[in-house]
Amino acid sequence: MVSYKYSGKDTVIHRLNPWCKLAWIAGVCILALLFDSPVYLLLLSLSTLPVILAARVWKEWLSVMKFAFFLCLLIIVINALVSNQGSHVLYQFPFAIPIAGAPRITLEGILWGVGNSLRLLAIISAFTVLMFAIHPDDLMLAMVKAKLPYKSVMVTSLSTKFVPALIDDAQRIADAKKSRGLELDRGGRIQRVKSYASIAIPLLSNSLDRAVQVAEAMESRAFGSGQKRTFYKELKLSKVDITILSFVFFSIAFGVFLRCSGQGGYQYYPAVEAVSLTTSEWAVLFVLLLLVNAMPILALLKRKVSLD
Amino acid sequence: MISIKNLTFYYSGSDKPALRDINLEIEDGEFVLLTGPSGGGKSSLCRCLNGLIPHFYGGKITGKVEVNGLNVMKHSTKELATTVGMVFQDPENQLVAVDVDSELAFGLENLAFAKEVIARRVEEALDTVGIVSLRHRATSELSGGEKQRVAIASVLALYPDILVLDEPTSELDPKGAEDVLNVVERLNDELGITVILVEHRLDRVVAHSDRIVVLENGMITADGGPRSILGDGKVSQSGVGIPPIIKLVQAVKSKGNLIDNTPLTVKEGRMAMAEALRDSESFASRHSERVLRSPCHSERSEESHRSGQAPRPKNLNRARLHEESPLIEVKKLWHAYPEGFVAVKDINLSICPGEFVAIMGRNASGKTTLVKHFNGLLKPTKGDVTVAGINAKEATVAELARKVGYVFQNPNDHLFCDTVEEELAFTLNNLGVKGGEAEPLINQTLERFGLTQYRYQYPRFLSGGEKQRVALASILVAQPQIIILDEPTRGMEYRLKAELMKFLDEYRRECRAVILVTQDVEMVAEFSDRVVLLSEGKIVVDGPKREVLSHALLFSPQINRLAQALKNYGVPDDILTADEMIEELA
Repeated sequence: MVSYKYSGKDTVIHRLNPWCKLAWIAGVCILALLFDSPVYLLLLSLSTLPVILAARVWKEWLSVMKFAFFLCLLIIVINALVSNQGSHVLYQFPFAIPIAGAPRITLEGILWGVGNSLRLLAIISAFTVLMFAIHPDDLMLAMVKAKLPYKSVMVTSLSTKFVPALIDDAQRIADAKKSRGLELDRGGRIQRVKSYASIAIPLLSNSLDRAVQVAEAMESRAFGSGQKRTFYKELKLSKVDITILSFVFFSIAFGVFLRCSGQGGYQYYPAVEAVSLTTSEWAVLFVLLLLVNAMPILALLKRKVSLD
Repeated sequence: MISIKNLTFYYSGSDKPALRDINLEIEDGEFVLLTGPSGGGKSSLCRCLNGLIPHFYGGKITGKVEVNGLNVMKHSTKELATTVGMVFQDPENQLVAVDVDSELAFGLENLAFAKEVIARRVEEALDTVGIVSLRHRATSELSGGEKQRVAIASVLALYPDILVLDEPTSELDPKGAEDVLNVVERLNDELGITVILVEHRLDRVVAHSDRIVVLENGMITADGGPRSILGDGKVSQSGVGIPPIIKLVQAVKSKGNLIDNTPLTVKEGRMAMAEALRDSESFASRHSERVLRSPCHSERSEESHRSGQAPRPKNLNRARLHEESPLIEVKKLWHAYPEGFVAVKDINLSICPGEFVAIMGRNASGKTTLVKHFNGLLKPTKGDVTVAGINAKEATVAELARKVGYVFQNPNDHLFCDTVEEELAFTLNNLGVKGGEAEPLINQTLERFGLTQYRYQYPRFLSGGEKQRVALASILVAQPQIIILDEPTRGMEYRLKAELMKFLDEYRRECRAVILVTQDVEMVAEFSDRVVLLSEGKIVVDGPKREVLSHALLFSPQINRLAQALKNYGVPDDILTADEMIEELA
């Protein structure tokens, strides 16, 4: 079982300033949305791996990716069924739907699904860093510094904090109900809804009790006292952090420049085209990916420096 | 200083006052123990001290509450935060930050202290409570006792003059409770912080308190020094659990022995009893003969004069019971959780009808994992579990539910129906008992648990003790042959505990088995007859309670510690409860 919460490991990535990690995630997302070429997207997805490895969250990453793969499969299948454009027809359904016309499965439809799945994988992979390698307090602080209202940020952070407690609660209540002879999967649909209600109702009222208790405890410690709140922890940007940030911004700018100069584009419809890159295009692409990976490289170097 | 004058409070929507005409003065540096039956108004009174009542809860309030000269009605909870620190019952629901040091900084940040001040105070609070080693840990990974100490440190960082703790140990295991109480006592001793502690189990804290206040039906019914309050025995009627040592000394006193003090600790009790025994030479001479006659006390079987209660089926028919096939048979049981943690290792155990078994052990020693195999909630990784002739490996939880009832600690996890009656019908319905067949069973069970008057009420609105009874009734209405209770008495007041145990004792007499997962030594000493002690997933000891609990270091009841010290006076050293000791001395 992988628990879906911040695990507090002590790695070079975990120790980085949250702004660097947030900027990096934003960078990967922008690049993933910018390029259309499946080659670019595939390599971009793969280039998130060094960060995952350096943060030692591969177990968590793998379990998220299992889910993501399933999602991608769904995208590919649905797109293949729904999109009837494309010139390489693989299968023509023997019936027609009014207005939509005769459905068919085309090579283009499938490849479009694959290409966009790669895009999705790159984004999800980057977001696992947000989930597992940014300390929630740091994230909260960054949000507050970004001028989001403190109370809303606190509430969001609290609600994620209590998710594991909620899962435990649900498990315990389900066990209690099963011990009273309840069979969750038995009976017709109405019976099943009733069965699940027997878990949902205590879960809900326990959660409400919990909310009141948490509110009381926070109130007793002067939450929302009206004064402008101070923050004990700071998000200091070290020189390395600033260097990383500038590399991330540079990588985005470089990506935009490449895209504007016509690289990394791709058309699936009406007919798939061959992906061919010139040597110079390959070279430029690798420079871009190297820039994306400036964060783990510099983070590792930073540790070297601080050890000396 | 706290000064409460003519305080009366109604929760909004209630026409019964939660607090009625309270007058109370508490001096600086006092250690006040607030006790009384559940629903008596203890929590409400606590919440009046830092303004949660009326500012957070609303309701109707009259009278005056002043804390260090601040009128609580006029100052908000936030303003009072630096005067009154409040620690709540549930360790899970009062920590808001991800790791310990930010938890400690939370209150100070809210009050806009400068960063340097926060850093210093966090450091101080960590040291004072003795949790420096936890500072970088995630709060979600701490044990209950650790969490509660973090909660104390987090209010302490605000430099309060008064610390109010609302049943801080009721969710904790004995070790965690001990750690928390040690901290509280030290804060009072060394820093002179006024402590107001709500607590059911008095034996552990009474020696440290200056004063006991008993709240009942929203009124103060007793207020005074611990010796005078507990010494005259009047408060026992109001459900206050008198520590066993005091009970014992009172009984001795009533026999005409002159003991002038009410002992509050084992040590005081030892000295008082030694003195009393020296005086009554007759006892010592009478008993020393007997000691010579039967030197090996631990092998004494239960003597009828000794138990004082009706003879137990197990003792009468030991031979017969062992011929009967056991209700539960565990053979070479191993269980590993998916994460790889091996929770129970090579367990062999059989439990016969009529047995009352306590399964004890530290936290995470495998107690709950073991008993969850008895009703199929967990399946063996290796080995076999047979329950009432059924192989638990292959049976579903629902199939086993006919044979095994499992009561969870928190009654709120059980209850969800609109009425108490439906709650009972739900279980029967699941087991296929419907309509006319179910009716008499429901009536009978409601009667037995004294719930008939609540038949049509919403169960979750009942009081704590009543809810517990409904949860128990909802299991026992199916008349299972085996009943398992997981920590049923944690945080329960003495009177309810005794009621529950009496009932379970009756139940097992009907040739059924009762299995109790617990860490409550005093209760086990009084009510069960066999103890299985687990450690790190293995059975360390399995035997009659007298053998297991006497001579034990951690798991020995207060009276047994006393008895061991009084060996020279001819007191058998395997006595476990006050009643047994009184019987012995008579």
